[in-house]
Amino acid sequence: MRKIKKRPYLFFLLPGFVLYALFVVYPIFAAGQLSLFHWNGIGEKVFVGLENYKELFTNPELLKEMFNALKNSLTIFVLTVLIQIPVQLIMAYMIFSKAKGHNVMQVAIFSPQFISTPVIVFIFTLLLDKNVGVVNKIMEMIGLGAFTRSWLGIPEYGIYIVWAMITWAGIGVGMMYFISAMKMLDLECLESAYIDGAGFWKRLWYVVLPQVKMTILNIILVGYIFSMTVFDYSYLLGGTEGGVNGSVDVMSLFFYRMAFGDNTPLGGYISSNSMGMGTTIACVLFAMVFVVALLQIVVVYGRGQKDE
Amino acid sequence: MNEKSMMNRHHGKAANVVTILLWVYSGITFFILLYMMYQSLRPKRDVLSKTFSLPQSLNLDNYIKLITKEHFFRYFANSVIILVAALALLVFLSSLTAYGIARYRFKGRNICRAFFLLGMMFPAQLGVVPIFQIMKNIGLINNPLAVILVSGANISMPVFMLTNFFERLPKEIYEAAVIDGAGEWTAFRKIMFPMASPVIFSVCITSSVSIWNQFFLPLIFLQRDNIKTLPQLVTKYTSNIMNTMDLATAVSTLSTIPILILFFIFSSKILDGVTAGGVKG
Repeated sequence: MRKIKKRPYLFFLLPGFVLYALFVVYPIFAAGQLSLFHWNGIGEKVFVGLENYKELFTNPELLKEMFNALKNSLTIFVLTVLIQIPVQLIMAYMIFSKAKGHNVMQVAIFSPQFISTPVIVFIFTLLLDKNVGVVNKIMEMIGLGAFTRSWLGIPEYGIYIVWAMITWAGIGVGMMYFISAMKMLDLECLESAYIDGAGFWKRLWYVVLPQVKMTILNIILVGYIFSMTVFDYSYLLGGTEGGVNGSVDVMSLFFYRMAFGDNTPLGGYISSNSMGMGTTIACVLFAMVFVVALLQIVVVYGRGQKDE
Repeated sequence: MNEKSMMNRHHGKAANVVTILLWVYSGITFFILLYMMYQSLRPKRDVLSKTFSLPQSLNLDNYIKLITKEHFFRYFANSVIILVAALALLVFLSSLTAYGIARYRFKGRNICRAFFLLGMMFPAQLGVVPIFQIMKNIGLINNPLAVILVSGANISMPVFMLTNFFERLPKEIYEAAVIDGAGEWTAFRKIMFPMASPVIFSVCITSSVSIWNQFFLPLIFLQRDNIKTLPQLVTKYTSNIMNTMDLATAVSTLSTIPILILFFIFSSKILDGVTAGGVKG
């Protein structure tokens, strides 16, 4: 008690430290340790060193699954960078420049953020289903009836549809960050550019973009971490298997499938080493996130310092 | 300001086209939500076989079935309990921690700051196997407390936001409070915590969306039917729409529209909150 009296900060730091260390930091290190064992979660733990890693990277079956999942995760990331972020920027710029109806626009674009993933997936079913889907109906009405199809049933489209869901649901957040970054712009800069004859889009390119480039970088990094860890959409759309031939499989789902198997936790179909291999994949995935996340922290933290 | 509004009037043709595209996009979003509501008012066979024909009977039967026979409010209450408890825990832990870091100068302070940032790169699901083992050992599988503890302990972002806030407060405020005879704890509870309320509001907005909609942790920890959350109930009906289309539309609408109405009413405040304490620049 006296120690706490002398160091009052301990009193403030302790509760947060304990729970945070136990449920956020410790599990990652524990996972690292577990990945060195052959274990199914109930039976005996057998220390196998780096065998799990060796198996993951040499077993052709596992390797194929992992690369497929990785490819899909990266597809989501690339589409996010190439399409979503430019669209977010343009949306933000239009709202920032008070285009007609910008308040309603902003609310409409942001609102899917409040919808839970299962409902998002269901909404896309209502739109894209072969029989009851709105899209097919509209295509029939405008004479494209020949092109109607079961959109959700075609493996090749799977990951693009997952991306479309993610984008519709989440596009508003990045947009808001861009808007708030733009609001910190020096208005005089914009005005003098205007007086010098820079048009609407030129001002975006030459004045606004350079000022929000840190935000862009930050959102790219967040997008990377997100695409590596996104789980719900693929799970809901394609189940534990990640759709036909793993068409919507992503890294997190691959991890879930290995660790928790088909149905319930500890009921996995590769039961003899589910926890060992599961944590191994988690660690590989973590390593891939870590490098990029470190970069993000430098960016965020650096900004935090500069603001002061 | 005049200059600016004049500047904004001259957008040019391309900008007008983009504006119209954004209207269309917004319109589609609203349409989708209204469409879902509309289908939720129709009987199952109408939705499935006469999806686009004019309504013959619109009623609340699906909702009545959902609430009386399918225990909608039980799942709703489960979600609310998790949200409220996790949010309270999150705010409690993160404000104390941030205050401790920002207010006091001690050895290892910077390491401490960095330590609390780590969580931003540890997505919860990667550590879920060890967490599952912990929960099993303390008997919290199939207990909402498991989800509450894990979501409430994920304090990296809130600590970051609040530390920045507390550090920017002028020192005189602490000193005045202490001179007035307030102890460390009283100064925090009566003066500092209330001052941080805009940032705490912003923490609550961003965190409550992710806690309310979270899917992964309940999937792992809550497997008994009577403790499942709202998103889990939704999947129960949407996974087989041929049989439960009526319940799927009703539960989707009922779990979405009230929240969206709240958002529409308080949108300007909420949208400010989303970015206020967050990543600036």
